[in-house]
Amino acid sequence: MPVGLPEFVENPENRCPVILLLDTSGSMSGQPIQELNRGLAAFKEDVLKDSQASLSVEVAMITFGSIAKLIQDFVTIDQFTPPVLEVDGLTPMGAAIEYALDFLENRKQTYKDNGILYYRPWVFLITDGAPTDSWDSAAQRLREAEAQSRLSFFAVGVKDADMNILKQISPPERPPVMLNGLDFREMFVWLSASMKRVSSGKVGQAVALPAMGWGQISS
Amino acid sequence: MNWKAIARSAIGTSHENQGIVCQDYGDYRIFQDVIIVGAVADGAGSAKHSDVGAKLAVETVLKCFSDINESPQKEEELEPGYSKGLSKEEADKLFATIVKKAIAKLHEQAAKENYSVNDLACTLLVFLATPDWFAAMQIGDGFIVMRSQESEYQLLFQPDKGEFANETTFITSANAVKEMQVKVISEKQEFICASTDGLEKVAIRLSDWEPFSPFFKPLEEYLHEPVTGEEKDKYLMEFLNSERLNSRTDDDKTLLLCFFDRE
Repeated sequence: MPVGLPEFVENPENRCPVILLLDTSGSMSGQPIQELNRGLAAFKEDVLKDSQASLSVEVAMITFGSIAKLIQDFVTIDQFTPPVLEVDGLTPMGAAIEYALDFLENRKQTYKDNGILYYRPWVFLITDGAPTDSWDSAAQRLREAEAQSRLSFFAVGVKDADMNILKQISPPERPPVMLNGLDFREMFVWLSASMKRVSSGKVGQAVALPAMGWGQISS
Repeated sequence: MNWKAIARSAIGTSHENQGIVCQDYGDYRIFQDVIIVGAVADGAGSAKHSDVGAKLAVETVLKCFSDINESPQKEEELEPGYSKGLSKEEADKLFATIVKKAIAKLHEQAAKENYSVNDLACTLLVFLATPDWFAAMQIGDGFIVMRSQESEYQLLFQPDKGEFANETTFITSANAVKEMQVKVISEKQEFICASTDGLEKVAIRLSDWEPFSPFFKPLEEYLHEPVTGEEKDKYLMEFLNSERLNSRTDDDKTLLLCFFDRE
């Protein structure tokens, strides 16, 4: 039959954004920060094994130590260079959460302006302490955003983290998780597996997350 | 003067890998040579029996139109609009009636098999075309692209998506009839393509929802060709199952294509 075949339009991949909110306060020094750095490298390595996820998953990093600051703007995993984080200062967690919420809304606007479809963003917070700044309004904004399904928030406590405050910040349906020891690697492999599932999710599908072998849900 | 049409679905590679069946369905009927009714449905990935739901929804819709076509009151239900076209209000009413019948049928099926109606969740796109006008509805994602005489390809509805890439409405959703989009176009259509969302990212430019004409043009030419039977089937199935397409989408794919031959 002398008929050609349909040609395809080039559309950008759907994006699956995740913001890592990382505690780099002084108390994380030594082994904790080293393990966290190794965990980040493991995250990249594991996502890369899935060619679809490595084009879809976009990661940004905000650290909070002396100040809350963006250390990595959103990049797809193939462009992501795992950092070597250094510790310094207090735990301005409230400011970091506020920063993340604003940053995420900006990112969504960029997606919309460019016709990029995206999955529900994840905000993943890791801390070994308690906020040293005011966190009430940040927590309220976060819970509102979660209630309106604008994002999914996960909090992970390490060692002496104040799980009680993390619980007040977290949405009621997703209480904070206490990391087993310093097993960041296992946690990041789980995050990677979850992102792979989300980024291959079909229309309307509620994604079942893999079992958390790396921590205990604090109740 | 007559409609040429074909409807085919092919399983997506992600469903194949997970051992899930194809959850898309599409079919059409031609009445009195010049009226065509088509429907496509995409069963929800998360719904256990959505392949059954999609097929039942499409078949119920087509059966409703055959009943109208055969009913003695067809003059009242369809015919007044036949030559001049339905008004938007009439089309709203007609499609709402038909969708409600499809929903009722899904409830019946769910009750019979003792599962939840949500296990049959699917999207639904339906169109009705005569040589002179065209009316269509859509609940959920997927797309209808058509081309009027002497004009470019046109996307009828922007897909109904939530904020995120994996959200949509299904006919089993509580708000389905309210969310239904309906349009009537009183122009002579030459080409109509109804499809599920599996082909969306290769056929539509998502930044401005512009149909990609190099995707649709060969399909229109293909329908124009005087080929029938096995060979006709072969072209479309080979395309839908091609490595080239599967490398771009892992979802189920459906094409319902119609061409009005005015010669």
